[in-house]
Amino acid sequence: MSRVHRRGPASIEANLTPMIDMTFLLVVFFVLVSQISEVEVIEMELPKPIPTASAPPPEETRSVLNVIPDDVGGAIGYRLNGLDFALGENGIESLRSELTNLYRSNPDLRINLRADRRTQQKHIDPVLNAITSAARASGRNTPARVNLVVTTTREVSDA
Amino acid sequence: MRRSAEKSDNRKMGVNLTPMIDVVFQLLIYFLLATNFALGEQVFRLDLPDRSGTSEKADPFELIDEPLRIRVTSVGEAGDQLQIAIEGPYPQPQSLRALELFLQESLSNKTGFFLDDHPVDIVPAPTTRWEHVVDVFNAAVRAGYTKVQFAAPE
Repeated sequence: MSRVHRRGPASIEANLTPMIDMTFLLVVFFVLVSQISEVEVIEMELPKPIPTASAPPPEETRSVLNVIPDDVGGAIGYRLNGLDFALGENGIESLRSELTNLYRSNPDLRINLRADRRTQQKHIDPVLNAITSAARASGRNTPARVNLVVTTTREVSDA
Repeated sequence: MRRSAEKSDNRKMGVNLTPMIDVVFQLLIYFLLATNFALGEQVFRLDLPDRSGTSEKADPFELIDEPLRIRVTSVGEAGDQLQIAIEGPYPQPQSLRALELFLQESLSNKTGFFLDDHPVDIVPAPTTRWEHVVDVFNAAVRAGYTKVQFAAPE
């Protein structure tokens, strides 16, 4: 892009095109990323143990399994990597087969388990069982590995 | 802008990019602020034991430790009170802090006789809140136990 000015003296101008290009790229990146994290992470109040012995999540292959909470300590379903599963036997069974597929394709998989602090154990225990039996069905000989997700910063209001 | 101006000699044709850049910057700042990469989330690493008990290869030389079972129940009207009960002839802790102290004292490098890989089973009730389960799990991990597991709810 040669700048030959036939008329008058040369004026000093910044070329804005690369900056606009970069800015657009950043905008597109953040739009996509914010959608992805919405699919994976459901809004809920995570448990907040104080003082906590938890650690920052390590960089590794993991799938996020959400127990979708209602407001009164129950659950309305499960979401694994953006796929929704219903409560009850059938939902757990399809969750189990989905987990088995994940374990087959990646034996080192870790499951990030997110559940609301008010959710009752009867809704979480079937998930733990599903993870265990999926790991066993996939033929791996190490125990299923799970990350229990807690929060350290978000304000927890009393319900 | 400049090139189109060069082509036509006397008339300046050009798109004014300034408002677009303004809007794009606004969007950029919005998404920078609104994007939350699950900040502040931390994890407890946990190996889920196989509860079926069939596939485990038994080591004939390994002594089977009777796990320390901690029952966790949520009581109170809204279910927001934590109640802890340790199975066996142990003092019953009234609070999380007391539980953590008891678990710490029970380690063999302190005054007790448990090794730090002694299995600790957390036994929740079906109605126990997840936060209480995690609180007790946290207390056991903080006390120094490495084999903290969940038992089936009773």
